[in-house]
This record gives sequence, structure tokens and C-alpha cells, in this order.
Amino acid sequence: MRELIILALFLPLLTGTVTMLAAKPQAIKIINLTGSFLTSLTLVAIIHQLTLHEVFSAGILYVDTLSAVLLLVVAVLSFTAVLFSTSYMERDLADGHISEPMLARYYGLLNLFIFTMICVLVVGNLGLMWVAIEATTLASALLVAFYFNRSALEAAWKYVMVCTVGICLALLGTIILYYTQLNVDGGTQALDWLSLRQISSSLDPSMVKLAFVFIFIGYGTKAGLAPMHTWLPDAHSQAPSPVSGLLSGALLSCAIYAIVRNMIVVQGAVGSQFVHTLLIVFGMASILIAVPFILVQHDVKRLLAYSSVEHIGLITLGFGLGSPLAVYGALLHIVNHAVGKSALFYLAGIITQEYQTKNIVRIRGLMKVSPLLGTMFMIAVLAITGSPPFAIFVSKFTLIWAAFLGGSPLLGGGTLLLLSGIFAGMMYYCLRMCFGSAPKKLNFQPVGTAAMAAMAASIAMVIAGGMVLPAWLHTILTQAATIVVGG
Amino acid sequence: MNLLTVLLLFTAMVLSRVSNLRTAVKILLFQSIMVTAACLQAGWNTGEAHMYIAAVLTVLIKAGLIPFALFRVVKILRRERESNPILGPNISFVASAILIVLSYWLIDRQLPGVVSRDALAASVSLVLIGLLLIMTRRQAVMQIIGLITMENGLYLLGLSVTMGLPLVIELGIFLDVLVAVVVLVILTYRLKLSFMTTDTSVLKKLKG
Repeated sequence: MRELIILALFLPLLTGTVTMLAAKPQAIKIINLTGSFLTSLTLVAIIHQLTLHEVFSAGILYVDTLSAVLLLVVAVLSFTAVLFSTSYMERDLADGHISEPMLARYYGLLNLFIFTMICVLVVGNLGLMWVAIEATTLASALLVAFYFNRSALEAAWKYVMVCTVGICLALLGTIILYYTQLNVDGGTQALDWLSLRQISSSLDPSMVKLAFVFIFIGYGTKAGLAPMHTWLPDAHSQAPSPVSGLLSGALLSCAIYAIVRNMIVVQGAVGSQFVHTLLIVFGMASILIAVPFILVQHDVKRLLAYSSVEHIGLITLGFGLGSPLAVYGALLHIVNHAVGKSALFYLAGIITQEYQTKNIVRIRGLMKVSPLLGTMFMIAVLAITGSPPFAIFVSKFTLIWAAFLGGSPLLGGGTLLLLSGIFAGMMYYCLRMCFGSAPKKLNFQPVGTAAMAAMAASIAMVIAGGMVLPAWLHTILTQAATIVVGG
Repeated sequence: MNLLTVLLLFTAMVLSRVSNLRTAVKILLFQSIMVTAACLQAGWNTGEAHMYIAAVLTVLIKAGLIPFALFRVVKILRRERESNPILGPNISFVASAILIVLSYWLIDRQLPGVVSRDALAASVSLVLIGLLLIMTRRQAVMQIIGLITMENGLYLLGLSVTMGLPLVIELGIFLDVLVAVVVLVILTYRLKLSFMTTDTSVLKKLKG
């Protein structure tokens, strides 16, 4: 197990280094496909081991089934993102948007980004988790700024500033948490998650509350919770599309993971009431704030970014409801949203490359230009808005069901109302883009096989996930929910 | 109240007044040296080797590499200065004084009778004044300086309440701060190239 984890950390670094040394685009493509495939394979092996042993802990490394859920997300998304990148970047290169040296830099940074996300998930120390989360910001910042045009620079500047300040607050919270731990056990196991969880009931409640507020605001900024979400639409819309998919699906989920890890300790100290209220309020606010921006939107990638704010809100709401069913739903929703939203970002990437614009008004007649792309886009939008029979319907349904069961029909009903508004907005823009007559001067180029494969695989997963839930995934999710609820 | 905390608060208050970027970086350098001194003092008092390692790292990174990078970028930005801050120098000077009072009030309320009261209040003030700088300054470099001030404050806070985080975490934090500054300096440089200015008020295109 330890070897597997070290391998999973080592492979992206190795791939990145070799990429920087290789010069030819073709070689870079092969190196990255292989490297990413092996990384994902290693991650899947770790997940497999976790279904057998549940927990592994050694020194600073710690993984359990809760990390397994997120590792699954990173395993799937990092591979589809690299697969999609090969076609997407080839097209960018052919169109002259980027040069060959930039290609190597792109893959180098992408691998570094994936490495930092894996780091977040395999460390068992809340201090190191903070270090890893901050590292994800820094690795992805240069990816957001990748094209180095004016809007990309603006997005990257806001991203680094807002997230770093946010994350500094999380560090403040972590220091306070460490202080409370010092008062109890003298800090022999400084910020170690397992020992913190063990002694959580003897931590000073008022200090822990203070710590959690800072930690929640800090990581919440990174997760894109309203009202700290301001960086999110900018960064998601300006980054290259494969990166947008990773940011939205994997990075936001990693930040949520950090909140949940801290939450487990905190609810042991101060009870779940305080923590859950905080999560529910911010979760609902995020869903609420996304609605107007989705109803009136001009940029297709910003539309998807606001939908991410909504989904993160929904996931936070699920953790806030706190019943095993709600947490199960939230965890399932993390997985489903990651796959669905990354597929949408990939599709949006292809569409913007074909139409040379992100402006929704100027994207028309997708069905006529390419029936296959149009159909996939329709399916993906239907799926992400939670229509049956797709996977996201199942998890959204579970969440709202849990809200009604948990005795908060107002929350459940309110969420349903907001979700229907979001459905209306997303479908309106989707239909506008899919139908109508295509602009005349559009010269459509066939989509690369790798990109097609990445998108088709993601959409196949979203469809299949609505029909069957594999037994192993169910086991992992149930165990992870027990970890979260049981404290 | 010892000399170190006075000097630290002094640097923070002066930072809220300056508009010349080069001067601001010099003050930041001085601030980082004070942080190192605080670290050495903590090492002297506790006799822990890990404090000395942390002090060496602080000197290397915060008083060495970071000011070096900032001086280089400031040199390229010759004519840039904080000409149009959201709060003028006088108001932000008063604001930072209020923030210092606020931090003392906070500490007395949350941790009455704590031993390192002054150090704690000073570090909270540094965090708040750093935040003030980020929010009210428009020059990219001034925002970076605000961020480092905030980080210095957090570092001192860790030093005064917990005698520093474990070394491996602290190493990670140092690395992150260094990389953050490198990334921000790259972006500042690019801002200058693309917008001909590093006044971040030009960044207002992405909305809605």
C-alpha cells in the first residue's frame, strides 16, 4: 500500500519532468497518455486495496474510504483530462493559439496540478493538507493564466489573490486548532487527523468553534462557496477547457474534502449543530446565488462555472444535513458532478474551438454542424441539471429525499424550486445553442479521436451511473458516510 | 511590550502610508528581519533547535529570495507607484491604528490573561493590516506585500501561541509562500506587458 501511494505521487512528477525534457509534440502526447494512464491505474489499485482493508496509515500518509471517493474522482478526471488535452492542444497548436514550447509547459503544469491534488488526498495531517491545498492553487494559477492574454491574466490574478487570502484564513484556523490540541495532549501528534479525532471530545469547544469558522471560510473560498465564489467563474472560463474540467470536478471537491476532514474533528468537539448550520447556510446561499447568473448569462463556460457553484452548494448542503443518507448522497454527488461537469467543459471546449467564441448568442445550430456533438451536449446538460435517468438525478434525488426525511421540508422544497430555475436557465441556453441555423462562415473540423473518446467515456459513465451503482462503489460510499457521520 | 513587537507594528503602520513601491519592499525586508529576530528569540527562550532552523529559513526566503524577486520586478516597473489607492494614506494610517486596537481587544476578550499578549496582538494586527493593504491598494506589488505581511502575521501567531508548527509543515508553508510570490511576480510582469501598467484597477473585464 505504501509503495502504491508513493508510486501515485511519483508518477505525475516523473511524467511532468520527462515532458519538460521532450521536445516533439508527438512524444509529449505519448508520454502523457502513458503517464496519466499509469497514475490512474495506481489510484484505482489504491482504491481497490481500500475496499479490502478500509484504512491505511503510515507516518504522514493516511488513506481511508473517504479519501477513496475523492481518489476515484481524481483517477477518472485526470485521465480524461489528459486524453482530451491531447486533441484540444493539438488544435490550439494548429490554430496558432499556442507554440510548441508552451505545449511542454502546459503538460508540465498539468502533471504538477494532478500531483498536488493527489497529495491533498493521501496526507493524514491537517497541516500538510493545508500545504497541499495551497500548492494546488499555485500549480493551477499558471494554468488559468496559460494563454497570457488580458482576460486570462485578470482571471489568474483574482484567482491567486482571493484563494491565497482565503487559504491564509484556513491556516489561521489550523493554527488555532493546533493550539487546542496542544492544551490537551502536548502536541506529540501535531495536527494528525487520527489522533485529533480521538481526542476531539476533550478539545476546548469555544476555541474549536473559532478555528472551524476560519477553516470553513478559508477552504470554502477554495471550494467556490458563495459569497466567496467570485474567483470561480473567471478562472473556469479563462483556463484551457481540460483544466476547467479538472478545476470544477476535482479541485473544488478536494477543497470540500478538506472541509469535511476538519468537520469530523470539530463536530466531535462542539457537536454537530453548529457545524451543520454553517454548512447549510453557505450551501443554500451558493445554490441561490447561482440562479440569477445562470438565467442571464452570455458566456458558455461561465454558465457551466455557475452551475459548479450550485453543485458545490448542493454537496455542502448534503454534508450539512448530516444524516447518513444525506452524506451518502453528497459523496455520490461529488463523483457524479465531477464526471458530468468535466464532460460538459470538454464539450464546451470543442464548441468554442469550432465557433471561435464563448459567447452563447453567437453559438447556433450545433445540431446541424455536428449532430453527434449536439446530442452529446444535450445529454450532458440534461444530466447536469438532474434529469432522469442519468447519474446526477440519482444523487440529487437522494439529497433532496434526505432533506425531507430529515425533517426539513422547507430546505428540500426550497432547493427543488431553485434547481428548477437552474434547469430552466441551462436548458434555455442549451437549446439556443443546439438548434437554429449555423453561422455561414464556420469551417467545421472533425473532432480528434482522443477528445471524442474522453467525452464519450464520461457521458457513458453518467448514463451508466443512472442505471446501476456498482457494489464496490456502494460499499465505499457507505463506509465513507459512516466516517463522516460517526466522527 | 518588547522592542520587537513595537518595531513590527511600526513597519505595518508605515506600510499603510507608503506609495513608492521600492520603499515598500525595503520596509517589507525590514519586517521580515524582525520576524527572524522574533524566531531567534523564541529559540533562545525555549532552546529548541527547530526554532533556529525556522529562523534560517525565514532569513533565506523572506529576507532573501522574496525581496530579491520583488526588487527585480520593481526595477522593471520604474514609474509605477501607488497613485490612487482606495483609501488615502492618512485614512489607512488611522485604519491600521484602529486595527491594532481591535486586535488587542480581540485577544483580551478571547484569551484573557495570556502570557504572550503583546506578541499575539501584534501578529493579529499584522494579519489585519495585510488584509487592509490587499483590499485598499491597487498596485499589484502592494497587494503582494500585503499578502506577505499577512503571512508574516500568521507565522508570528503560530510562533507565539504554539511555539511554531511542526517542522515538516513549516517547511511546506515556506515553500508555498515562496512559490506564491514567484507566481505573483510572473503575473505582475505579464500584467505590465499586456496592460502597460500594474495598477489592478484595470482588471475589470470579467463580470456577470
